[in-house]
Amino acid sequence: MSENTNPQTTTDPQTETATTNGDQPLTANSDQSLTANSDQSLTTTAGETVEQTRSEWTEYEFRGDAKMAVEDLDVHYGDDHALKGVSMEIPEQSVTALIGPSGCGKSTYLRCLNRMNDRVSSARIDGSVKLDGQEIYQDGVNLVELRKRVGMVFQSPNPFPKSIRENVAYGPQKHGDLDTGLLARLLNRSDAEERDELVERCLRDAALYEEVSDRLDDNALGLSGGQQQRLCIARCLSVDPEVILMDEPASALDPIATAKIEDLIDDLAEEYTVVIVTHNMQQAARISDQTAVFLTGGELVEYGDTDQVFEDPHSERVEDYITGKFG
Amino acid sequence: MAGERRTDAKLVESETTETDAAAGAAVGLSAVLFALAVAALFERVSLTGSLFGVGTVTLLGGLLTALGVAVVAFGVGSRLGYVETDPDRSVGLVAGLGAALPWVVVGGSAASQTLGLGTAVGVVAGVAAGGAAFALTVLPCEDLGSTLPLGCLLALTGLVFLSGVIGPEWVWELGWTQQAAITAEFLIPASTLFAALYGGWASAKAYGGFGARGRHMGAYVLVYLNALSIVAFLLILVAYVAVQGLPGLLNGAELGLGSGPQTTVLGASVALPVSVPFVMNGVALFNDFQGVLPAIVGTVWLVVGAVVLAVPLGVGAALFLTEYAERGRFTQVVEVATNGLWSTPSIVFGLFGFAFLVPRFGNGKSLLSGMITLGFMLLPLVVITSREAMLSVPDEYRDASAALGVSKWQTIRSVVLPAALPGVVTGVILGVGRIAGETAPILLTMAGGTFLPGSQTVDVLGSFQFTTAPPFVANPALMEATSALPYQLYALISAGVGASSNVGNADEFRWATALVLLVVVLSFYAIGIATRYYFRRRLRHT
Repeated sequence: MSENTNPQTTTDPQTETATTNGDQPLTANSDQSLTANSDQSLTTTAGETVEQTRSEWTEYEFRGDAKMAVEDLDVHYGDDHALKGVSMEIPEQSVTALIGPSGCGKSTYLRCLNRMNDRVSSARIDGSVKLDGQEIYQDGVNLVELRKRVGMVFQSPNPFPKSIRENVAYGPQKHGDLDTGLLARLLNRSDAEERDELVERCLRDAALYEEVSDRLDDNALGLSGGQQQRLCIARCLSVDPEVILMDEPASALDPIATAKIEDLIDDLAEEYTVVIVTHNMQQAARISDQTAVFLTGGELVEYGDTDQVFEDPHSERVEDYITGKFG
Repeated sequence: MAGERRTDAKLVESETTETDAAAGAAVGLSAVLFALAVAALFERVSLTGSLFGVGTVTLLGGLLTALGVAVVAFGVGSRLGYVETDPDRSVGLVAGLGAALPWVVVGGSAASQTLGLGTAVGVVAGVAAGGAAFALTVLPCEDLGSTLPLGCLLALTGLVFLSGVIGPEWVWELGWTQQAAITAEFLIPASTLFAALYGGWASAKAYGGFGARGRHMGAYVLVYLNALSIVAFLLILVAYVAVQGLPGLLNGAELGLGSGPQTTVLGASVALPVSVPFVMNGVALFNDFQGVLPAIVGTVWLVVGAVVLAVPLGVGAALFLTEYAERGRFTQVVEVATNGLWSTPSIVFGLFGFAFLVPRFGNGKSLLSGMITLGFMLLPLVVITSREAMLSVPDEYRDASAALGVSKWQTIRSVVLPAALPGVVTGVILGVGRIAGETAPILLTMAGGTFLPGSQTVDVLGSFQFTTAPPFVANPALMEATSALPYQLYALISAGVGASSNVGNADEFRWATALVLLVVVLSFYAIGIATRYYFRRRLRHT
């Protein structure tokens, strides 16, 4: 894990524009674009270096198997081309960080991994995503099973307006793995004990159990923001996923809660494959094993070992972004 | 320019000055006047009588004059610098129009009626008085503008009452072809009401020292007086019905062991410890006291039937529209249709029931057709409010549930519906309030006789029967015509039924029926509120 979080580059980037970069438009497709010899046009924001994206920058060799393999993934929202030909392989039991400026498509990419983009009616997805070698964008994919295996934690904590216990037990109960209904209780087949064990285990895994053990029947909305987010992680763990997707899980939290979530992610990586979107580059450098940098226009510019990406990026645009020249 | 006009208000105004106290007393005085006027309007205070040893009209006139003088004194005092205020340059056009309006009326009617100069002169005088008041309000500084015309108006009104130009016996025959007159019973309370509003506003502005703070105070007083008057009207209405209805309701009522009628509770026959014949009896020749039990039970069953029919259908339709249907032309059309249905007059629903339902249920009026008709009336409101409630459930809940791999229907059932339930219940409360008091649809689809004997009280639960032929169950009670409270009330009042029959004091009987209807509707309302409270609590603090 990298300790060097903010490499100071001394090389003067060959910026095309010598103008100041005080204002940074959030949208893509600003004034500078040039047609590359590849089939894509390169889109940059003001202050960015103009350069060609090379495919070897996104080639990342790792030992072990790829948990998820994405190939030539394109996403359109209506006319908007949000993700352009992204290919990357995500190794098992590790933390993969996705960083990049706002609107660069990292959340879109994340949502493609468990097909949450299906819920957006205007989204059109082309390309291939494989989970353990099985294509998830094909007919006959069981979305329930896919989302059980690839869980998700959202940017803002979104517990249900139910008790803490019910929140954690919600997934297994709805999948029929736990039955604590009236009929089951009448027939003496209730899984209440299993449920309580599961709730305790998930809350412990999410480092929340000690704080809430005496009020499991209280409403989850009464928890603090950080506790709510850890509850959401516990809820995600309850269906026993293999991959956990996190969309800026700490962006709405204070530093202490953020630190707790980061420790938690570190622990989770021993068992699960974690993919995390973050705006916070220090956070990405601290917790991730490999980092993927998306830049304006929805393309994956660089993907590799976190230390390498932060200390010695191949792309000058990535270097500019990491050192805070734009973004 | 801006610098010159900057107001130099003090940051901290620590002690209450005598002026503040006097202005506060003036605000209180106008509140008292307002309350008196409301009470007089509803004849809770007699105009011909006296209060605190003074004739009511004289008292009102004296108070109004005092308030008017006080208001003018504040304005003039502020202008001359005796009172420390920070007025703006002008009150503004809206306040000017507000002050001009009563002066138009006063000037016009004084010239044309009191002085008898004719309509044309009246119009001219009205416009002149209004224009003068407008100019006097808008042109001078705020302190004079917001006090002088209104204070004069108050004082004038008070002096007119004091001098007896308009006394308790005063009547203005309008001289139309129809019999129409404005009486003192209406004019005195109404003008006092408006004068008190104006006086309260002006003295509240004075209390705030004019300027921004004064305007805030003025608006505050107006809003509060308005809110209070609405609450007062509500309370007076309920109290009026209760006072008028209680004698009839308690006619022959007894309290004590064994005094009530025999009922069966859990298989044992017991006598209720209270007896209120009005709600426990029907109408029969040999009854000591007549009652409206069949109508009460009919109303309750009507509402229950309509809710049972409309709520599942309405919630289901709302679910389809929000969760399943693509938002587009179709949902828009459905939305317009439901809104239109909710605005459809009840008599049209009644006619539909009469022409469509009644022939299909044995060609006679029946409880069932009444239930279905009212159910159709309730349906659109349930759809509209349920839809709003479901739309306001955050999408994050749906996303979170989907990300756990939970299917759409499970998500709706476990997350969306519980979160939307309080809103749905609100819709049902509003709808039940409307349909429980409906008369026209019942008249056409359900109503049988006006005075039903107690033996004809519908017993829906008790009359289920098994039959040998399909559909194997029958419920004759649903197919019988019966009565309901609003219909009974309508028949008693409008058709004059009851005067000749044996209900004793017909007037008491009517008021008691109205009171019972009010109580029944309010009970449904209370049940609805309790349900909503329960679901909210479950959602917020398990």
